[in-house]
Amino acid sequence: MKLKLIYPKWKKLPGQTTFNLPPHGPVVFAATLPEYVDVSFTDENVEEIDWDEECDVVAISMMLTTQVKRGWAIADKYRAKGIPVMFGGISTMLHAEETLQHADSIFLGESEGRQEQVFQDLQDGKLKKVYNYMGKQPPIELVGPARRDLYKRELYNHKGVQMVDLYHASRGCRFSCYPCAVSYLGGRCFRPRPIDKAIADLESIDNNRLFIVDNSLAQNKQWEMDLFREMIPLKKKWISHTIEDDPEVLDLAAQAGAWYVYQAVYDTSDYIKERVKRYHDYGIGVEGTILFGLDNQTEDDILRLIDFLLKIDLDLAEFTILAPFPHTKAYDDLMRQGRIFDHDWDHYNAGQVVYQPKHMSPERLQELYEYAWKAFYQDETQEEKMFKLFTQVMLREMEDGTYRPRNRKLANKTFGKEVDRSKSHFNEF
Amino acid sequence: MRVPERYYDEIFNFAGQWDMPSACGLKIINKNDKTYVIVTELYQDNPGTSVTYAAESLFHQVCEAKGLKGDIVYIECNPDTNSKLSFYDEEYFEVTFEEGNPPKYRQLDSMEIQSILN
Repeated sequence: MKLKLIYPKWKKLPGQTTFNLPPHGPVVFAATLPEYVDVSFTDENVEEIDWDEECDVVAISMMLTTQVKRGWAIADKYRAKGIPVMFGGISTMLHAEETLQHADSIFLGESEGRQEQVFQDLQDGKLKKVYNYMGKQPPIELVGPARRDLYKRELYNHKGVQMVDLYHASRGCRFSCYPCAVSYLGGRCFRPRPIDKAIADLESIDNNRLFIVDNSLAQNKQWEMDLFREMIPLKKKWISHTIEDDPEVLDLAAQAGAWYVYQAVYDTSDYIKERVKRYHDYGIGVEGTILFGLDNQTEDDILRLIDFLLKIDLDLAEFTILAPFPHTKAYDDLMRQGRIFDHDWDHYNAGQVVYQPKHMSPERLQELYEYAWKAFYQDETQEEKMFKLFTQVMLREMEDGTYRPRNRKLANKTFGKEVDRSKSHFNEF
Repeated sequence: MRVPERYYDEIFNFAGQWDMPSACGLKIINKNDKTYVIVTELYQDNPGTSVTYAAESLFHQVCEAKGLKGDIVYIECNPDTNSKLSFYDEEYFEVTFEEGNPPKYRQLDSMEIQSILN
């Protein structure tokens, strides 16, 4: 059986450096398929869909809300040709009712241990409209190494530099953060993978640089420390979200190859300033993630926050505007108050205001968001700052003998396309 | 972010979106020939769909389970969870349902809610 697995493209935010990372969801899903299913994978962000490629079924994997409309359009086209289409992934779960209108089948929940039945049904002509496993997570031990062999590696390469691979060591989240739907999607319980399984998956990745995509590793200190300890011999270098603010954990993280972390900066407190410093003390870089548009933010608060960011020695900063995704408290609150005015899912990209902010006009919030990007990267561009972080990791790799020089054959390519040298400065490494 | 028990008399388990096992706090008050149904969001202790997202489905499930009929005032409560974040302050909304339209919400002021609770 031939399955064409597609990851739909989405419109990237203007003015920001675009890096296409090899997507994680599709290859995690692919690892759960029966052996007799022959998979061909297309990431539409880096290559065109070959509409004439023969297949028995199309599976569309969607992570972002900004992918859903494109995913639906792709499905409509295949279904018009008589090819059945199934959907899965985070955004399918968030937008299940609408996705159902464009699907022969939708899969809700986590895939491990469940695809044998789906494909048996497909072969028997009894494919169900909905496979509903919401709230019924499979044992975490079943999560195996992802099918990264499906990637066309040369497409995830910028001027000869391989992009980081995505990897997850846990699922679920015990926190219920205001703008986040993860606890709805993956359960309100932190489910760490067994260390040996997590390490086996890591070892299988032919890439020394990773992005550990877990929401927060700081949910089970002992497991987190055990994981870092076992990672040390692998000499991987990695990016992650928050790490436990504890000297022992930070030390182990640094030894395990922590490159830089995403740290939410939500106020101008000394705590945040010290938190950034503590990461730096252990040689771990910090990309601040700053969310604008919450109801407790006035214009002055945002402007003060931007000033603060310029003083706390962040390595990078990423600004976003609150997007009220379904199944978040943000959505519930704004919907109840009738403040959501834009229901076009393409606009839910965290760079566009889709609701009425409490303390300012939507236009003013949009201006402040754009001002923040400009102000932070005024003296040094995003690419230049990234280059500094990149230099740090290269030096560490050279020290421990894991450095791989860039692929000269791909030096003139960026994500499969010819480099336009007039546009980029990120070409020195 | 545990929800204080004063907000509810019982935990009500319901089928959320896609039948996800879900839970809310429930308080039913009979007063002045009316039945006030107060459903409270439990945040981390709700494994599934929020009371707001479940909306009319939850209303019907409560009515059916408790045999409620007649003049019912349906109220959603966002409880105070002692969070430093203002989004988690206490709020009460009266919710009305009209077929074919999204639910309508009216925030209750403290006097209104106190007159129901006391």
